[in-house]
Amino acid sequence: MTERPPRAAPSRGTVRGVRSTDWSHLLDVLRERRRGIAAAVVLGVVWTGGKIAVPSLTRVAIDRSLETGSTAVGWALWIVAAGVVTGLLTAGRRYLAFRESRTVEARLRRRIHDHVLGLHMGFHDRSQTGQLMSRMSADLNQVQMFVVMVPLTVSHVALIAGVTVVLLVTDPLLALVALIPLPLITMVAKRFSDAIHPAVLAVQSEQAQLSSVVEESISGVRVVKGFGAEQVRLDAVAVEADDIQRVSLDAARVRARFLPLMELLPGLGLIGVLGIGGLRVLDGAMSVGELVAYNFYVTLLVWPLRSISMTLAFGQRAAAALERIDEVLSVAPAIVAPSEPAQLQASGGGLKVELADVHFAYGDATVLHGIDLTIDAGTSVALVGGTAAGKSTVARLLLRFYDPTAGSVRLGGIDLRDLDPDDVRRNVQMVFEDTLLFHDTVAANIAFARPDASPADITAAAAAAGADFIDDLPEGFDTVLGERGYSLSGGQRQRIAIARVLLADPAVLILDDATSAVDPAKEHEIRSAMATAMVGRTTIVIAHRPGTIAMADRVVLLDGGCIAAVGTHDELLRTEPRYRAVLADDDGAR
Amino acid sequence: MWGGAGVAAEDRLDAAETRHVLRRAARLARDQRSTMLATVGFIAMATATTVTGPLLVRHGIDAGIRANDRGALGVAVVGYVAVVLIAWFGARRQYVMVNIAGEGFLRSLRLRLFAHIQRQSLGFFDRHQAGVLISRMTADIESMSELVQWGLLQFVSAGILLSVAVVVLTVMSWQLTLVALCVLPVVIVASVRFQRDSNRAYLRVRDRVGRNLSMIQEHLAGVRVIQASVRTAEQRRRFADNNDELLDAHMTTVRISTWYFGVVEFCGVLATALGLAAGGWLVQTGRVSVGTVVAAILLLASLFEPVQQLSQLYNTVQSATASLRKMFDILDTEPEIDEIPGAVDLPRSGDLVVDGVGFTYPQTTARVLHDADLHIVDGERIALVGATGAGKSTLAKLVARLYDPDPDTGSISFGGVDLRRATLASLRERIVVVPQEGFLFNGTVADNLRLARPSATDDDVWAALRSIGVAERFAAMPEGIHTEVRERGSRLSAGERQLVSLARAALVDPAVLVLDEATSNLDPGTEAEVERALERLMEARTVVVVAHRLSTVRRADRIVVCEGGRIVEVGSHDDLVGRIDGRYARLAQAWEANTNTSAG
Ligand SMILES: Nc1ncnc2c1ncn2[C@@H]1O[C@H](COP(=O)(O)OP(=O)(O)OP(=O)(O)O)[C@@H](O)[C@H]1O
Ligand SMILES: Nc1ncnc2c1ncn2[C@@H]1O[C@H](COP(=O)(O)OP(=O)(O)OP(=O)(O)O)[C@@H](O)[C@H]1O
Ligand SMILES: [Mg+2]
Ligand SMILES: [Mg+2]
Repeated sequence: MTERPPRAAPSRGTVRGVRSTDWSHLLDVLRERRRGIAAAVVLGVVWTGGKIAVPSLTRVAIDRSLETGSTAVGWALWIVAAGVVTGLLTAGRRYLAFRESRTVEARLRRRIHDHVLGLHMGFHDRSQTGQLMSRMSADLNQVQMFVVMVPLTVSHVALIAGVTVVLLVTDPLLALVALIPLPLITMVAKRFSDAIHPAVLAVQSEQAQLSSVVEESISGVRVVKGFGAEQVRLDAVAVEADDIQRVSLDAARVRARFLPLMELLPGLGLIGVLGIGGLRVLDGAMSVGELVAYNFYVTLLVWPLRSISMTLAFGQRAAAALERIDEVLSVAPAIVAPSEPAQLQASGGGLKVELADVHFAYGDATVLHGIDLTIDAGTSVALVGGTAAGKSTVARLLLRFYDPTAGSVRLGGIDLRDLDPDDVRRNVQMVFEDTLLFHDTVAANIAFARPDASPADITAAAAAAGADFIDDLPEGFDTVLGERGYSLSGGQRQRIAIARVLLADPAVLILDDATSAVDPAKEHEIRSAMATAMVGRTTIVIAHRPGTIAMADRVVLLDGGCIAAVGTHDELLRTEPRYRAVLADDDGAR
Repeated sequence: MWGGAGVAAEDRLDAAETRHVLRRAARLARDQRSTMLATVGFIAMATATTVTGPLLVRHGIDAGIRANDRGALGVAVVGYVAVVLIAWFGARRQYVMVNIAGEGFLRSLRLRLFAHIQRQSLGFFDRHQAGVLISRMTADIESMSELVQWGLLQFVSAGILLSVAVVVLTVMSWQLTLVALCVLPVVIVASVRFQRDSNRAYLRVRDRVGRNLSMIQEHLAGVRVIQASVRTAEQRRRFADNNDELLDAHMTTVRISTWYFGVVEFCGVLATALGLAAGGWLVQTGRVSVGTVVAAILLLASLFEPVQQLSQLYNTVQSATASLRKMFDILDTEPEIDEIPGAVDLPRSGDLVVDGVGFTYPQTTARVLHDADLHIVDGERIALVGATGAGKSTLAKLVARLYDPDPDTGSISFGGVDLRRATLASLRERIVVVPQEGFLFNGTVADNLRLARPSATDDDVWAALRSIGVAERFAAMPEGIHTEVRERGSRLSAGERQLVSLARAALVDPAVLVLDEATSNLDPGTEAEVERALERLMEARTVVVVAHRLSTVRRADRIVVCEGGRIVEVGSHDDLVGRIDGRYARLAQAWEANTNTSAG
């Protein structure tokens, strides 16, 4: 199976003018919340009834008091009653609308988060943290604002429909005049939404780019400070900030072109009613009260029409946001469990690891050219090779972070593709070359792969990894580490990472340059613990120090993505010049 | 000081504080003042129609229909058309102008905030989670862009509408106005209570947004470890909790604002009813005309929406105030490491003297450096060795003034100038540290090198790569130095990443170069190559290397051995290695053992 083309890669400048919004994710979530949303819509529609009642009551009040010369107090009381009802309904509708929209937002956020967390490495290699963060914040925000408007908009549409009916019943001809703007507004609205879509997409994409630059600058602040590169990063942020300003002005120009039309077209109806209705009153075909009510109704249309134009604008932003969210959600995980995964036979003595004619390319660049390697259960191998030889790539294939482009990787005799990736990873554990700790206690970090481990186990693993410094930390194992473990020294972090895998007790253990920042004295100490840990499991060490390499039963020399030689350390040292070169053995440092 | 985690008692925003925050924001927006004024003008123009409309209707009814004058009716109709056209023009301009003013403000806020965050010392970044800081720069500012885009417009237009309508109403009939506006006190009382309850809720929202983004960031950064540890399900569960907390914070604000909007809506209708009742009576007693009452009621009805809009806006303002407040908290945090007034430039060269320095990381209690003394003469090469956690990186960071020594202890000076008295520009130019954790930014290899010297040309970049002997390696990549390294350099191998971060140092020409385990991920072969090449780079400058490899250490003029935060031995390799029971002698033995194949 090959890498799926990274359609989701939210690369710089993902601005696509074409509209292909997939609303299905939103619809799914909306469906889950249909009760609340329906309730909000119902309240909104009833509220519309209240709103329509007010001008009707006003009309009756005016006509009656002009006819009979009585005061309008009685009618006014009715209006107050209508006010109480609409007040309550507004509160209810608003509450429901916000509750549902916030819930929808939260659910979508969880959905994106959960999806992304399960995606293959090929996706993560290409995506930017800041971009993904922006999907889960800024973009969702747009969706939320749109969902809030849904019940309100439905009730506004109902209002427009209700008013239309009332107008038509009262006076069909005048109604036609009053409603002339409606089709015009619809036309303008259509054109508006076509024009604003790319502009809005551009704004959101620029915001996400800013978020990426900021994220990197803050995460990499130690380097920025070390080189005094604050100005460079500030310039980068300024570029993005300018971009945001520019595209957002473009969007504003589009709005300026269409929104005023949509807001003012209802005025045409008012003018028509005044002119034609006025003439009809003069002709005696209509009462003054009727004309006023007519006017009132048409006025009632103004705000809903305006707010619909606003909803359209929000809808466009939400559509743009959903499109960007969809780019992420529609990435199918490339590494998945088969429908009927094979079962690993966990024996006490580790698992056999085989690579059979494995080829691998990250995108176009082929990195491994046919690796054949069998590591028997319970034995150990040191992978040695120059910088960029492909050592870590081999390790990643064993974890099934990627699938090989050709050939197969087998664990316990079973092709990894026939196994559940979780099962693979429970059995194959690796210390990564760059250690990453979480913002949590030392104990939780060590127990990361085995959250149910007892404190005694955790302490034992820490001791085996030579992490004795933990006792000196202010709160021992309960000390909360800074973000990414930055409150520990480099070697201390690596030892926590080693303790983590030792505790996980995997059948296959991979150490990718796991002691590069550990001082030699300490490494020497850890080594005896490692030797114990290697008993009864298959071990792959990637290392550069002869002492560590020599712990392994065999040494495999990788060169340019091929296996150049296999043998013991001493053999290779004697026979293989390339091996001597990698270890700089001519250096005479011994 | 700014408390990043937890909503402290200080996180309450009272009315006075809100006013203060808004006033400060207004000061920040000073540059936009003329644009804003123009904007208000255009909004006023656009709003005219809503106000003049009912007046023209009144004219049509009173002077036209009731007086049976078709001409007057015509005037009203034509006048209305004209007004709509003017409004249309104003509305077009208003959208553009409001964007120019608002986005201009946000842009300057973004840059200011970012520049200020960057000025902070490392201690600040130790304290605050990256995700929270990012949320200040993104989610918080975007939450204000809402206000800037629509809010400002609505605020001004609703404000103009309201005040003009009130004036017109008063002119038409002050009695009617007085009665209708009886509802005003109710609205005011409701607003005051609403504000009191909601500000705290909004601060909590901002806080939760920060935590939520922090967790997202941590999960994205750690996705490899999470998947490898089969922790996906557990981390998803934790995120669900975190996400629910955010939802909960949002719901609090929703509950608080719900009743408020009900009251406002009711008040609007009440005003209409009052107007009608009073109007009916006024018409009966002959004080006002029917047209006036009609116009008044139309006006009251059109007031009703802006009042709603304004109260909606109130929500937005509250949330923006909370955002601003969080940002001002950052802007108010003075960097611990800053230039003092009257700072001087560091000399071009000189001795680097560490004199009786003690150091404690901010917000910890244990001292990690005790009484460190070290005199490094100009051009000397020093190797810092010692067990992990001994304090080598810490000393390296102090030498580059990424932190300051504890106040009651000694000082670090270069060429006789205390680093605390030096200008930051000269400091960063003279003393460069390649930190233990190399960090690559999105962009090409060349971009990453240029971080150290933005003006460097491609040739300079190649020269830098050649000077550490790795140019061919990058030349072999399909796009050479223009290869995109992707986020954190994920496109490169660990060794290649280290080469890039090392090459950065070769691009600058500092007097003091501090290399903190800058070659630990290289294979010994490449490392030896790099070191041979580095020889030239290290000539004629002071170099401090932190290393765990004997080959590197041996080449140093003097070796400094750290242990438990103290400098315990200083001397050349030959001096130290012979000392009976010396620390370095023992370390050297360990190295030997390490190179010894039969170990383990
Ligand atoms: N940002 C920090 N906040 C609090 N404590 C820290 C921080 N960084 C390091 N420490 C602590 O200070 C001590 C010295 O750390 P330092 O990084 O200087 O060690 P080191 O000698 O460089 O070790 P290594 O060889 O492992 O890199 C350690 O105990 C470490 O836990
Ligand atoms: N995610 C990636 N996308 C594209 N290319 C990659 C990626 N990761 C590594 N490479 C390339 O693959 C090659 C092998 O990289 P790998 O990380 O396996 O090397 P390594 O042997 O572990 O080296 P080191 O000792 O420096 O860690 C390198 O040329 C590197 O540039
Ligand atoms: Mg590697
Ligand atoms: Mg260190």
